[in-house]
Amino acid sequence: MSRPAAIVGIGQTKHKKRRDDVSLPGLVREAAQRALDDAELGWTDIDAVVLGKAPDPFEGVMMPELSMADALGAVGKPIMRVHTAGSVGGSTALVATHLVQTGIHDRVLTVAYEKQAEGNAQWGLAGGRSGGMGAGGIFAPWMRSYMARAGAPEHIGWMVAVKDRRNAAKNPYAHLQMPNLTIDEVKDSPMLWDPIHWHESCPSSDGACAMVITTEDGAARSPHPPAWVLGTAMRSELGTFPGRDPVRPQAGVECAHLVYEAAGIRDPRQQVDIAELYVPFSWYEPMWLEGHDIAGPGEGWRMVESGETQIDGSFPVNPSGGVLSSNPIGASGMLRFAETALQVRGRAGEHQVPDATVGLAQAYGGAAQYFAMWVVGSTLDAVDQKR
Amino acid sequence: MTPAATEPDDDNSVKMMDYFMQLEYREPLCPVVRRYADQLLEGRLIGHQCPSCGLVYLPPRGYCPICVVETTDADETVLSDRGTVTNYTVVTPVQYYGQHETEPFVRASVTLDGGNATMNLQDLVDVPVDEVRVGMRVAAVWKPKGERSVADISNRSWGSAEGCIDGWRPTGEPDAPAEQFLGKATF
Ligand SMILES: [Zn+2]
Repeated sequence: MSRPAAIVGIGQTKHKKRRDDVSLPGLVREAAQRALDDAELGWTDIDAVVLGKAPDPFEGVMMPELSMADALGAVGKPIMRVHTAGSVGGSTALVATHLVQTGIHDRVLTVAYEKQAEGNAQWGLAGGRSGGMGAGGIFAPWMRSYMARAGAPEHIGWMVAVKDRRNAAKNPYAHLQMPNLTIDEVKDSPMLWDPIHWHESCPSSDGACAMVITTEDGAARSPHPPAWVLGTAMRSELGTFPGRDPVRPQAGVECAHLVYEAAGIRDPRQQVDIAELYVPFSWYEPMWLEGHDIAGPGEGWRMVESGETQIDGSFPVNPSGGVLSSNPIGASGMLRFAETALQVRGRAGEHQVPDATVGLAQAYGGAAQYFAMWVVGSTLDAVDQKR
Repeated sequence: MTPAATEPDDDNSVKMMDYFMQLEYREPLCPVVRRYADQLLEGRLIGHQCPSCGLVYLPPRGYCPICVVETTDADETVLSDRGTVTNYTVVTPVQYYGQHETEPFVRASVTLDGGNATMNLQDLVDVPVDEVRVGMRVAAVWKPKGERSVADISNRSWGSAEGCIDGWRPTGEPDAPAEQFLGKATF
């Protein structure tokens, strides 16, 4: 029997190209302290810590979950690390949630981070060899396939890039601040990996995100409204196998259906108020709208084109500015999860979607093979209120 | 380890220094990958065809993860070293320590003749990047026998033949119809 879990504290750092004002432990502590402050809890109130980040070679710091125990107040407490490539921030939040839901711990601090400026992710991804093509080079052919399959015109990618940067301009924590970016500037920016232009690609960021997840009792004592976890799901598949469809990976389809079922959602497009999807390259917005059956085949890009996914549209996607605006890799998934919780708590500030009560977060990683999703609500029956 | 450049900050103070660490190690190849590597040295591409679903794995894994059945030497099949470009991208190289590419280069998926086996992230040779297209017919360019190396083949290789094949060269045959492949990415 699982018990309810609630998010009562959320913290994040300012994300930027280089946070050389703090060390690695200082960076994670900044986010964690803000999450504790939000929950009005102290370090001694925490029972366990769950940490996530991208693979160690990105910064060259091995097993940071050990060296950071001190900075995270975890000495003498259980601390664990989650590894699921780019989706790790999402999976890390889910592991923390499950520790509460299963009754193992009452108050869990979950933290995810990346300090890209202290390492070289391109070197790490290439294993130090020449000819590295980065994540964008792996994903680019699949975007071309999506465009052909869905009959999507190329300006859709440019529109997503502009939308997310304008949303980020409302988010003081976001790395890229480009309130005036235009479609033409995206279109005319250098082509990095055909069809991905410079402005359709995520930045390289330093940053961290943290949340405090607790029980119903903990939520009752929270000084601010909690966000309730209404459903969780994780799925993965092999990164390559004959016949694999990387545009619409089966693991992503199954993960979405599992989380909808867990949350009692029959029609995500109608019953979800705001979605935070992992979109490091513009085309992944329509690809995930279809890959998670929010939109039908060929309908994802039409939702973008009609403005449905804008912050004032009927299905806002990435009001935070998304991965396209801040990419501290390990934290990028958790930022999606944290933003949905902020939204249903009504604490998202200038990028708040009015009256958002149900939020859907997703993170993916590897060769689009690891998926993590949750649905959060302002109340335990928030989805039922939407029938 | 490789000492590299220091990067002065806006105020000209040095706050970070690059310092690359490298650990070189050799892991024994599992028997099915060992045989794949040995066959590459002979100029042959081999795969395992799952006895249950018929899909061909290149390199062979010794099992079909979809059917969860073992595959053995009995399931070995020699694959064509000719195929069709079924997907590609043009990569603008990011400069990092060890990157030797300076100009945009192509990485293509080549689906081999006679089946479903696809080799991903393949280099194309003797064709300008702006002439690459889906449907293009290509053939493997094998290195001369004595110059082949399988040092970069690992148990986790994604169908790599680097070290034995320089890339894939257009054959000049008429293109296969692109509509057959567009929108049907595989990986
Ligand atoms: Zn099989």
